[in-house]
Amino acid sequence: MSTQKKIEQEEFEPNIIGFLCNWCSYAGADLAGTSRIQYPPNVKIIKVMCSGRVNPMYIINAFQQGADGVLVSGCHPGDCHYTHGNYLARRRIATMKKLLEFLGIESDRVRMTWVSAAEGRKYADVVREVTDDIKKLGPMTKFRREKEW
Amino acid sequence: MVENKELIKVIEETVSRDDVKYVIGYKRGTYGFQIKPAFAYSAKDAKEFFYSPLCSKNLAVYPLLEEKLPLRRGEEAEHKKIGIVVKGCDSRAIIQIIQEKGLEREDVVLIGIPCKGVIDPKKIEKRFPKQSKFVEVEENSNDEYILEIDGTNHKIPKEELLSDVCKSCEYPNPQLYDILIGDTEEEFQPEQFSRVDELEGKTIEERWEYWEKHFQNCIRCYACREACPLCYCKTCMVDLLEPQWVRRSVNLSENTAWNVMRAFHLAGRCISCGECERVCPVNIPLMELNKFVEKEVKEMFDYTAGLDTEEKPFLGSFRPDDPEDFIS
Repeated sequence: MSTQKKIEQEEFEPNIIGFLCNWCSYAGADLAGTSRIQYPPNVKIIKVMCSGRVNPMYIINAFQQGADGVLVSGCHPGDCHYTHGNYLARRRIATMKKLLEFLGIESDRVRMTWVSAAEGRKYADVVREVTDDIKKLGPMTKFRREKEW
Repeated sequence: MVENKELIKVIEETVSRDDVKYVIGYKRGTYGFQIKPAFAYSAKDAKEFFYSPLCSKNLAVYPLLEEKLPLRRGEEAEHKKIGIVVKGCDSRAIIQIIQEKGLEREDVVLIGIPCKGVIDPKKIEKRFPKQSKFVEVEENSNDEYILEIDGTNHKIPKEELLSDVCKSCEYPNPQLYDILIGDTEEEFQPEQFSRVDELEGKTIEERWEYWEKHFQNCIRCYACREACPLCYCKTCMVDLLEPQWVRRSVNLSENTAWNVMRAFHLAGRCISCGECERVCPVNIPLMELNKFVEKEVKEMFDYTAGLDTEEKPFLGSFRPDDPEDFIS
């Protein structure tokens, strides 16, 4: 039993949704690719124009639709293309993480980082860390939508 | 304690003013411990107004429900005020709405009532079920509620019937008013909202078990939204079909999404009147979510809702030195 469980855990490949901002983090991810840095393929990227565009309901909906973790990434403070979008995102995600923790959902499943367009290496590191974290936490099935067909 | 005679006099005076359209207050209901909202359009309507510890409803909902029809050509908008009877928490709701530009200060006349806490209708209903007539409840100076049912007098300690949020109320006096009835209550050191701390002491699995049990019961009647003075969006996100944020089906997944959404949309806005919890037909402890968010917002960002009409909204503003220890 225990060995079977161990195998299951090893085989678990998490589904992670990454909301990357168009101006910094998406370009950072692009740089990681063009620099041929190896990183896990678990993060599915959704490009948003700004990290401030990430409605906290996106995170809840991602969990409902089968994501095991969510990564939100934007420009460093002060570097935002829209001057202060990432500051607003920071408040929102901070509050949302606390709320999730209170509800009994591990707040580590939501991760926020700043990745600039020049930080391909950092992006790869972040993805590696996130994937490891979520692998340890296991699948997120607490309020996943039931399959409809 | 607010004298009803004085209240009626003030309402008569207010509604007789030329610039006031109508005044919203409380009147006795038809049975049990139910109270109704009352609308006075002229001085003679003011007679049925009253105030007692049963008046738990938050009347700040009503000015935003008023339908404003499009104007005909050449017609000018009517600029008349609405009078509202407000307790401490209701006045904070009005401040918060003014802050968000939902109302203007000139639109309302606030008749402030210093509040000693209100009775939780669920608690009193449980104690004296199925009353076919309206029961008057009064508060005496020894922190007891006095009521008469079928010829027998009951004296009940205040603690037993008081609404849970009122025990941890920080602002019993109206924070914004035009007319104040009675003397202001003494500021007292409120208790902590103990249910939040209790939950925080539990492990993460126990907490999810707790909320799963409650969210499973949710029937998505949206009574919490309708009773909330700050849920006044013309189109609520939950009603949208394109994009459909929350599906119509009633199951754990969608119920969780709705309850998280409701709690999050009140982050930095909830003024803890406790109406959502009191109206919930399946007893979901919604105030625990609200109070927790309120506490965290205060700790992390030093922000309290509903105190200053000039302050910027919590989620629409930022400080460069906001905490970011969770970001790596």
